[in-house]
Amino acid sequence: MTMPKTFALTLLAVGVLLAGCSKSTDTSNTASGKKLAIALMPKSKGNAYFISCKAGAEKAAKELGLELIFDGPTDPDPAKQNEIIENWITLGVDAIAAACENREGISTALRKARAKEIKVITFDSDASQDARDFFVNQATPEGIGNTLMDEAARLTGSEGEFAIITASLTAANMNEWQKYIEARRSSKYPNMKMVALRPCDDLKDKAQAEATALLSANPNLKLIMAICSPAVPGAAEAVKQAGKTGQVKVIGLGLPSENRRYVKEGVTDSVILWKTEDLGYLTLYAAQALANGSLKPSDKTFKAGQLGEFEIQGDNILLGKPFIFNKENIDQFNF
Amino acid sequence: MNAPKTSKSGAWKSIWLRHETVLFAILILEWLYFNSVGPRFGSLDNSCDILRHSVEIGLLALVMTPIILTGGIDLSVGAMLGLCAILFGKLWRDAHVSVWIAGLATLGIGGFCGALNASLITLLRLPPLIVTLGTFSLFRGLAEATTQGVDTFTGFPNFFLALGQSELVGLPAQAPLFVAVAVGIWLLVHRTTFGRSWRAIGFAPEGARYAGISVERRVGMTYVLAGIIAGLAAVIYTARLGQAKADAGTGYELFAITAVVLGGTSIFGGVGSVHGTLLGVAAIAVLSNGLVHARQPREVAGMLIGALLLAALTVSVLAKQFAARSKIGHARHST
Repeated sequence: MTMPKTFALTLLAVGVLLAGCSKSTDTSNTASGKKLAIALMPKSKGNAYFISCKAGAEKAAKELGLELIFDGPTDPDPAKQNEIIENWITLGVDAIAAACENREGISTALRKARAKEIKVITFDSDASQDARDFFVNQATPEGIGNTLMDEAARLTGSEGEFAIITASLTAANMNEWQKYIEARRSSKYPNMKMVALRPCDDLKDKAQAEATALLSANPNLKLIMAICSPAVPGAAEAVKQAGKTGQVKVIGLGLPSENRRYVKEGVTDSVILWKTEDLGYLTLYAAQALANGSLKPSDKTFKAGQLGEFEIQGDNILLGKPFIFNKENIDQFNF
Repeated sequence: MNAPKTSKSGAWKSIWLRHETVLFAILILEWLYFNSVGPRFGSLDNSCDILRHSVEIGLLALVMTPIILTGGIDLSVGAMLGLCAILFGKLWRDAHVSVWIAGLATLGIGGFCGALNASLITLLRLPPLIVTLGTFSLFRGLAEATTQGVDTFTGFPNFFLALGQSELVGLPAQAPLFVAVAVGIWLLVHRTTFGRSWRAIGFAPEGARYAGISVERRVGMTYVLAGIIAGLAAVIYTARLGQAKADAGTGYELFAITAVVLGGTSIFGGVGSVHGTLLGVAAIAVLSNGLVHARQPREVAGMLIGALLLAALTVSVLAKQFAARSKIGHARHST
């Protein structure tokens, strides 16, 4: 009596599984062709930053006529990146391009891929040097430092006081940027003066408090430069609340999406980062060139489709100068 | 006199066989399907990958089985794995203990964590769900506090990494350990009085007490065992990834519980099997690996595992009802 019911449900269970699977067959037939297959891994899949990298990569894949596999962790388990890469190794992809969340952990899997003659490239954040062939470097400290200082000088007419808000006084990358900011200032803009350098612990609230204090302590302040991403909207909020919009300029290193409001209100003048779409595009071109052998370790330049020539320093392919997001262009970017 | 008794137990057996048979059939269908869409899915390399990637969760699922059999649950095993991995790294790197001794000590640490769960549950008679929800937070918090969330342990010696990454006669090096634990737990559950008493406790704790079973001790034992094996899983995990970080094993407790329940163990205790759990682990592992070979986004895996679990549970409940009715039927027959 209930026996057939049980059986029916069993069938249903199998049916559910098959339904899920058979639905998927439509799209999966392209796999077996002779096209190069390049796998691209973001740090996390839902991140808007990487979604825009993917858009660039898709464009490149279309131009080059290759298969792009885009996959990455959706949960915070660090073992996932490794598992996906190991799956790709058995899948037999031609090249893997990865943005590494766990430098050491993922290097284990990438070395394994290289041992199986799969070309490995990293982008956005590097793995151990021996675990990849090239790193697509989105911005050198020098490029970041120079762009920030040039932009500050442009907005202030190359003279007057400015202050920097950083994440912490010990963060290695920020100290590196700051070194180049200072070098640029002393060589090109001697009439500008840095009056304060304040840490914000990578917190927006603290950045806002620091900026407020800076504004009252330095009446002649012309510009605040925020070099960690939470500090840019933090400083902008402080300037806005102090009623000094336009009088004290705000620039910084951050995501367009976090700053769109302030840029449109005229509080923040420029947000500096790189074009993530170009990063994805260049990464895919480089991975393809590596896989077909046209990009070699000794190369000094690399040509990536419509974007043209890129410089190679050692095993770093440089994306080049950072990009400046401002009132005119910020609406075109959604990360 | 004897005949109805054997046919009764025969009916029981055939029903519980049914759940596992259904699962086995699903597993084979999964395998056949993925083998037909993914040219390399059926390769030995990939089978090794599947096995390698499911060892840690598999171990946790194995020790979760006795716990659920007694009607308990352990939400802390994933966090325990994380804490064990960190302390293992600390012992090796900071206390300069050799990796193997550190590994053994890690089993002890796991056992201690398990003993904490066990004593809270059996001495204070707190519900396992609440106790392990607390220790879930506690263990993960301790792991994060010890490392301040940033310290990562890497650079383990190659002979240790071989445990997680190399191959022994064509099989992943960690496979023998997994098989040994699986056989051990299977014997414990299906061939000893411990196993019988766990079932009895899960079925009716008070009844078990009146039958002279030392319920507290037997229940406590399952949690200590889970701790020890979580320690082992932590060591294998670290060897596989080459890094120990505070986020190791995030979310593993839910995968383990899913595998156990999918394998036919009743969440209310009393009924279930270790081979069912193994099938559950395999069904999940094959599904998430196969989707990569079918070039499907892995998010689909979560959806399908959910559907699979719900379907399996429905079948299980109906089978129980069927069993109950046929029992009544039997009783009617014999009168």
